[in-house]
Amino acid sequence: MIMKFVDMFFSAKRASPISSGQVKWSSYQRIFSNRMVSICLIMLAVIAVIALFAPQIAPYNPNDIDLKSSLQPPSSSHLLGTDHLGRDVLSRLLYGAATSFTISTSVVLLALFMGIALGGAAGYMGGLADEVISRVIDLFLSFPSMIFALAIVGALGSSVFNLILALALVHWASYARLMRGQVLSVKSNDYVSSARVIGASDRRILVKHILPNALAPVIVLAALDMGHVILSAAALSFLGLGIPPSIPEWGSMLNAGKEFMRTAPYLTIFPGMAITMTVVLFSLLGDGFQEVLDPESEVSGLVSS
Amino acid sequence: MSLMLRYLAKRLAFMGLTVLAVCALTFFLMNIIPGGTAELILKHTILEMEEIPTDEQIAEISSRYNLHDPLYIQFGRWLSSALEGDLGSSYIQKKPVSYLLLLRMPATIMLASAAMSIAIIFGIPLGIYCAMRKNRLTDYILRIVTLLGVSMPGFWLALLLILVLSVNLKLFPVAGYGEARYLVLPAVALSAHALAVTVRMMRTGMLEVMSQPYITYAISKGLSSQNVILRHALRNALLPAITVLGMSFGHMLGGAVVIESIFAWPGVGSLLVDAISARDIPLVQGCVLAIVGVFVTINLLVDLTYTYLDPRIRYT
Amino acid sequence: MFLLEVKHLDVGFKTKLGTVEAVNDVSFHIDKGEIFGFIGESGSGKSVIGMSLLRLLPRNALVKGSAIFEGTDLLAAGEEEMQRLRGKEIAFIPQNPSDSLNPLMKNGQQISEVFEAKGHGRKEAKDLALKVMKRLLIRDPRLSADRYPHQLSGGMKQRLLTGISLSLQPRLVIADEPTKGLDSITRRSSIEFYQGLEGKKDRSMLLITHDLDLAYEICDRLAVLYAGEIVEMGPAKKLLDDPLHPYTQGLINSLPKNGLVPLEGSSPSLLDLPRGCFFSERCRSCISDCIKSHPKLAQNGGWMKRCILP
Repeated sequence: MIMKFVDMFFSAKRASPISSGQVKWSSYQRIFSNRMVSICLIMLAVIAVIALFAPQIAPYNPNDIDLKSSLQPPSSSHLLGTDHLGRDVLSRLLYGAATSFTISTSVVLLALFMGIALGGAAGYMGGLADEVISRVIDLFLSFPSMIFALAIVGALGSSVFNLILALALVHWASYARLMRGQVLSVKSNDYVSSARVIGASDRRILVKHILPNALAPVIVLAALDMGHVILSAAALSFLGLGIPPSIPEWGSMLNAGKEFMRTAPYLTIFPGMAITMTVVLFSLLGDGFQEVLDPESEVSGLVSS
Repeated sequence: MSLMLRYLAKRLAFMGLTVLAVCALTFFLMNIIPGGTAELILKHTILEMEEIPTDEQIAEISSRYNLHDPLYIQFGRWLSSALEGDLGSSYIQKKPVSYLLLLRMPATIMLASAAMSIAIIFGIPLGIYCAMRKNRLTDYILRIVTLLGVSMPGFWLALLLILVLSVNLKLFPVAGYGEARYLVLPAVALSAHALAVTVRMMRTGMLEVMSQPYITYAISKGLSSQNVILRHALRNALLPAITVLGMSFGHMLGGAVVIESIFAWPGVGSLLVDAISARDIPLVQGCVLAIVGVFVTINLLVDLTYTYLDPRIRYT
Repeated sequence: MFLLEVKHLDVGFKTKLGTVEAVNDVSFHIDKGEIFGFIGESGSGKSVIGMSLLRLLPRNALVKGSAIFEGTDLLAAGEEEMQRLRGKEIAFIPQNPSDSLNPLMKNGQQISEVFEAKGHGRKEAKDLALKVMKRLLIRDPRLSADRYPHQLSGGMKQRLLTGISLSLQPRLVIADEPTKGLDSITRRSSIEFYQGLEGKKDRSMLLITHDLDLAYEICDRLAVLYAGEIVEMGPAKKLLDDPLHPYTQGLINSLPKNGLVPLEGSSPSLLDLPRGCFFSERCRSCISDCIKSHPKLAQNGGWMKRCILP
C-alpha cells in the first residue's frame, strides 16, 4: 500500500516552469502532427465520405420494404441482415451515418455561431450587455438538456429541422460561456496591452491575438460536442420524437429493433456499435485537440489523462 | 453569515426564474398549434381509430379547456393554480396532474438514487485506483472501458443488458416494477455514464492533486503515506468532485427518461414521454415542472455544499 | 565527522527532448552547527539539490552519488527510512509558501499533524502546535491556528512554513529560497528571523537562495552554482566581498548597489552542455584553453574555484 502511494507521488507530473499559455495561428498546424488526432480525423473522414456517398455505396434502398425477407440474419445477400420490414440493415446504417453527420454538423455549427457571437459580444462589450447575455446563458445552462430538447421536439413535432433547432438551443450556451470567458481573459492579458501600446488597431488585435487563443477551447468543445449531439439525437429518435420514421437513423433503428431482440439481436447490436464508435472517435479527436491547443483547459475532457 | 444568506436568496430567486422560464417555454411550444390540441385530445379519448373529429366536438373540447384564450392568459391561469398546488388534470387520463406526479415520483427518485449510488460507490475508488496504477495495464483497460461508457448510448447499454441478462441468461426480469430485482438492470444502465465520468474525474483529480506542491511538502514533513493520501490528497481531490457529480446528476435525469421508457419503469420520465406523444399539455407541464424542479434543487444543494466546504470561499 | 557529506551528486531529468543535466558532480559537506549556502541564478540546479537530499524528486529524475547523513546514505536509503528521517532529522522549507500549504486544512492542524506523526497524542500535538505559532510571532496565534492559509499574508505564510519545518527541531534544515517573492520589508524581517535562529550549535542549515544579501548575512560558507556545477566554494563573507571566479564576480557586479552591471548572454541549455568550461561563452577572460577542456575545482586553502585563470 505504501509503495503504491509512493509510486503515485513520484510519477506525478509536477508543474513545469516552461508554460506557454499563448496560442498563435501557427499552433493550429501542430494539430496534424499529433498522432491521435490524425488517426481520428482520417477515420472520421472515411465515415463522412461513406456517408456522403451512401446512395452510391449502399447495396439496397434503405426504405425498400420486402416482407418476404424480413428478419433475416447476416448473409451474403444482406451483409448485416434485414429488419422486420425486410429492409437491408447495412444500407440503413450507411444512410444513418449521413443522417447523423448532417444533424450533428448542423447543430454544432449553429450552436457555435450563436455561442461565439453572443458570448464574444458579451465579453468584448462588457457592461449591461454582458450582464444581460450572461444571465440568459446561465438560464439556458441550468436546464437539464435532455428534458429541454424533449420538450421542444415533442412540442414542435418530428422533423429534421426541429431536431436541429432543439439541439442547437440546448448546446449553444456552453460555447457562449466559454467564448465569453476566453475573450475576457485575453482582453486583460499582457500581450494585448503591449500590442495596443505599439499601436496595433483594435481589429488587428482581435484577429491576431484574441481569436487564436479564444477559439482553441471552443474548437475542443465543438469536437466533443459532435459526439454528444449524436447521442442526444439518437436518444430522441429512439423515443420516436426526433426524426420522422422514413429517414434512417441509428437511434430509431434501435427503437425498431428492440422488439425483436430474441429473434434478431443483430438489429440491436449494429446500430449501437455505429453510434458508439462514432462518438468515441469524436471524443478522442476532441482530446487530441485539447492536448495540442489547450493543455491547461477547463473543458472537461472525456479522455484526458 | 449574512453574505451567505444574500447568496442563498439570490440563488433561490434564480432557481425560481429558471423553473418559470422552462415551464413558460414548454407551455408556449406545446400550444403552437392551437387547433391540433383539441383534435389530439379527442383522438385519445372519445374517438375510435380513423374517426375524424367533428367541428362540434372540437368546439366543445375547446371551450371546456379554454383553448381559445390567448396563450399568455392560459399560461397565467396555469401558473396561478400551480402556485396553489393545483396543476390541472391530465387531458387523457382524467386524473389530477399532481396526483399522477406524486404517484410516480418515488419510482424515479429510487431509480436515480440507485444509479447515483452505484456511480459514487464504485466510481470513486476505481478512479483512485486508476490514478495509483497510472499507465499500467489496469489503467489502460479502465480508461478504454470508461471511454466506451461515456460514448455508448445509455439506451443501447440497457438493450444489451436486457439481451444478455434477461433474454439469454434469464437472470433479471425484462421490464416492470416490483421487488429489488426489477431495479437492477435499469439502475445499472442508468449509472453507466455517470460511473464512467466519475472514474475519469477521480483519476484526473487525484493525479492533479498529487502534483501539487503541498503534497511534496507534506511528504517532506515526514507524514506517513496513509496520512498524506487521506488527509491531503483525497480531501482535496473530492472537493471538485462534488460539482462534477452534481452535473452528472442532471445528465442522469435526462437519461432516466429513456431508461424508464425501456424498462416500463413507472416514473415521471416515462410519464413525460407518454404525455408528449399524446400532447397532454397539463401533464407535460407538470412533468417538466417536477423534473426541472428536482434538477434545480439538487444543483442548489450541490452549490451550497461546495461553498460551505471550500474554506477559500467560506472565509473570504 | 561532518553532519552531511555529499559526494559526486549528479541529477538528470529524462524528458521527451533528452536528458536535462540539472546537477553535475556536486560535492560538499556541512558541519554541525554550520549554515551552508548555495547561490546561483534560477535554473542553476540549487533547488534540485535540496529536493534530492530528501528524495522528493519525481520519477524521471536520475540521481547518482552519495549523501551521508550521520552514517546513512540518503540517496540509497529505503522509503521507510526516509520517512523516519524527514521532518524529525532533516526538514525542508519550500519555496512557494502559498502553494505549499494545503488550502483545505486549518493552519494549526498543518503544524500539529507533524507532531502526531511522530508519536504525540492529538491533544498534546495541538498544544505543541500552538506553542510553535506563538514562537513564530504570528498575531493572535490561537485565532490564526483556526484559520486557513489563504487568510494569512505572504510573510506570515513563510513564517508558518518555517515554523512547521523547525517544530521537531531537526538537525538539518534545508531552506529553499526562503525570501523569494517577498517584498523588501518582509524580507528584512525574514532575515532577522533567520538570524535569530542561527547560532544554535546543534542545528545546521543548507540555504538555497539567489538573494546575495541574505547569503552574506547568515551563511558561514557558500558554494556558487552555475549550470548545475559548483564553480566556487569558500567562506561566505570573504567570497562575496572578493570573489575569485569570473561568474561570481559578474554576479556581484550585477547587484544594484554595485552598479547593476549585467552579465551578458544566458546560461547554457542543460540539455546540451559544452565540453569545456560551462561559463566560457559569457566569460570576459575566456581563453582558448577554457573551451577545450573542462576545468576542475582547485583547492586553495579553505577556498575552491573552478577556473584555470589565477
